[in-house]
Amino acid sequence: MSVTRRDFLKYCTASAAALGISAAEVRALAKALLNGGGPTVLWLQGSSCSGCSVSFLNHVASTTPHDAADVLINVINLAYHPTLMAAAGDTAVAAAAAASLAPGHILVVEGGIPTAFAGNACWAWSENGADVTFQQAVTTHAQAAAAIVCVGQCSAYGGIPAAPPNPTAVQSVKQLTGLPTINVAGCPPHPDWMVWTIAKLVAGAQIPLDSFGRPTELYAKRVHDQCPRKEKDEEAESFGEHGGCLEELGCRGPWSQTKGNCPKVKFNDKANWCIGADAPCQGCTNPGFPGTEPFFHEEGEDGDD
Amino acid sequence: MSASSSTYTFAPSVITLDPVTRIEGHLKIQVQVDDVGGTLQVVDAWSTGTLFRGFEKILENRHPWDAVPLTQRICGVCPVSHGLAAVKALDAASSVTPPANGRIMRNFVLGANFIASHVLHFYHLALLDYVAGPGLPPWEPSWKTDLRLGASKTQTLVQHYLAALEMRRVAHEAGAIFGGRLPMPPAYVPGGFTHHPNSGDIKQAKTRLKDLIAFIQDVWIPDVVLLGDHYGDYFSVGRGPGNLLAYGVFDLDAKGQELLLKRGRIENGSDAVLPVDIGAITEDVTCSWYDQGANGLNPASGKTDAQYPKSGAYSWLKAPRYDGLPYEVGPLARMTVNGDYHNGISVLDRHMARALEALKVAQAMKTWLKKLDPDQPVFKKHALPQSAQAFGLTEAPRGALGHWVKIQNKKIAHYQVVTPTCWNASPRDTGGLRGPIEQALLGTTVQSVTEPIELLRVVHSFDPCLACAVHVMRPGGGDCLAVS
Repeated sequence: MSVTRRDFLKYCTASAAALGISAAEVRALAKALLNGGGPTVLWLQGSSCSGCSVSFLNHVASTTPHDAADVLINVINLAYHPTLMAAAGDTAVAAAAAASLAPGHILVVEGGIPTAFAGNACWAWSENGADVTFQQAVTTHAQAAAAIVCVGQCSAYGGIPAAPPNPTAVQSVKQLTGLPTINVAGCPPHPDWMVWTIAKLVAGAQIPLDSFGRPTELYAKRVHDQCPRKEKDEEAESFGEHGGCLEELGCRGPWSQTKGNCPKVKFNDKANWCIGADAPCQGCTNPGFPGTEPFFHEEGEDGDD
Repeated sequence: MSASSSTYTFAPSVITLDPVTRIEGHLKIQVQVDDVGGTLQVVDAWSTGTLFRGFEKILENRHPWDAVPLTQRICGVCPVSHGLAAVKALDAASSVTPPANGRIMRNFVLGANFIASHVLHFYHLALLDYVAGPGLPPWEPSWKTDLRLGASKTQTLVQHYLAALEMRRVAHEAGAIFGGRLPMPPAYVPGGFTHHPNSGDIKQAKTRLKDLIAFIQDVWIPDVVLLGDHYGDYFSVGRGPGNLLAYGVFDLDAKGQELLLKRGRIENGSDAVLPVDIGAITEDVTCSWYDQGANGLNPASGKTDAQYPKSGAYSWLKAPRYDGLPYEVGPLARMTVNGDYHNGISVLDRHMARALEALKVAQAMKTWLKKLDPDQPVFKKHALPQSAQAFGLTEAPRGALGHWVKIQNKKIAHYQVVTPTCWNASPRDTGGLRGPIEQALLGTTVQSVTEPIELLRVVHSFDPCLACAVHVMRPGGGDCLAVS
């Protein structure tokens, strides 16, 4: 049967009722189509805020995949995602178990892994009547995955939950499992960066990584090197000033590992970006984020790396 | 029994539903069901937050302004509310009043996030409890219990589900014009806002608002009405304690005395709107995995010292109480306190109040755009105090939110956050009073213990910011049975 998933969705949402197709028939058709669908993705959330998932939903592009729905319908089989999936309870846990058996499946991890209290600061689900900690879930599922994508700082490097004093002994996926991970840095990452990484994996392409596990194509240059305010003589000396370089106010764009193409791609369909709103860059792609330096120099003193 | 790692003693037989999905974060609810007059009904419930991060500890000794970007990351669905609560607390600590532009942009970006969050909640988190989605993952597999809409209406709602994905994105774009980006807008600072609005911004925001208002009026509100036509019984399911609390939100004047949605509370479903005394708020930890020394403290002096395991405890959430009583927070509380909603307290009332609130906020945002003046300041320069103590109250899309800060030597000495989901999903308190979701689940009829969709409907109506786990206990003992 030569029908694409997109065709199927149109069929499912628009034509089925008119054609008198029953819900059960539509579902049977869907099942058949699934066998030919994109690679299975298992998306786990741990010590996170769901901000990476929310950012993913903001994807919009003139090239395919055009938006988040396009990704879900035409690019991947999102077998497990706690915020989006219809299934709950053991139906959801079974979906995760089935996904981990799918050949070539991708594990996406959002959130760090608390290891204090024997992992009991975060539970993933219950299985056979026992609470499964997030630490156990990641340890198990990481082994079977063809690739592990860490979206955001928490799964990639520990992020804010791992900031001093790291109250729940949060670890990154790599720290916990020792396995290589593709780190889509950012707090949250730009949706384009997440979609680009998944699309590359689906296409079977090699993804060169820097020493922090970040795709070099996405994290090639410092934010400062691409900043339209870089060459400006005018420096903002106080908040409330418009248009100047924000370095004296605490901008982390010049930090050596604050990398990403945000000055070019901006955010939210190019509505704006941090420095465009006269707000200092928070350095959220820096593996050391959030660090212990103040984010703002509210009295305008200079900041160092 | 599944709660093997907790020390709370439950009834001997448990059916586990874990995780409850389509929710933000981690929460677990255990429910005991029994035969009541020939139907299976919930006779007891336990709500368990299953994530602890310790933000309060991370903030200690940091620069006070760091609370703004850091607390936004408590929640990626309501970061703007945390940013606003933090800047309001720090404004108060420094006795600074933001200029009108700053106040208006703070409101506008918050409003945009309210719309994005409310749309996401109804269409993407809650709707799949009532209709089957597209026939592929992540919408399949799914439960097929008690789906009452026919094929035609289902297809229409699925199309609206997809349209709503775009609408929540557009709402974020409207906010990002001023906020810099969403989620996690960087433009909130004590003393005002960083972005300088121009006429192009205002025009772009206006265009997006027009689309959003049309969607809310022509699609969303009619869809909630449609749901009410087919699930009218849910106007009498999931009432909860009947106590409603709103801190109020969207300051319409410099002093924050006039609000779009005002502060107030309602006791036991009465018509009287009572004043809110912040000193009457306490947090119980008797059933929470924290040192018992923190029990019953006001957040201004609250403590967050983890203790796991702990005898009698079953949640990482504390139990906030007002004058010793559990209160429901959220759009229904706000709209009822404000006199904009009168129908009742139930699952469907929560959905209806949320949609109507989105419309009220979107229409107000249109008027705020007209009040932005590109020639006026956005920020008021001020000195950070050597030491101070203050709090900032606002509303997240899902309810009342407060931040309490203590500054010493220009550093954060103490920080406490009380989130709306702590109110709604709180465990029992020292006196044994159940939290609002625990109470709302009582009496709910369950058709199928293997697909207890009714429990999801009750829990989802509160829009908890947690990934839930519901445990259904069966009467009469027996082994653990897994729901499949």
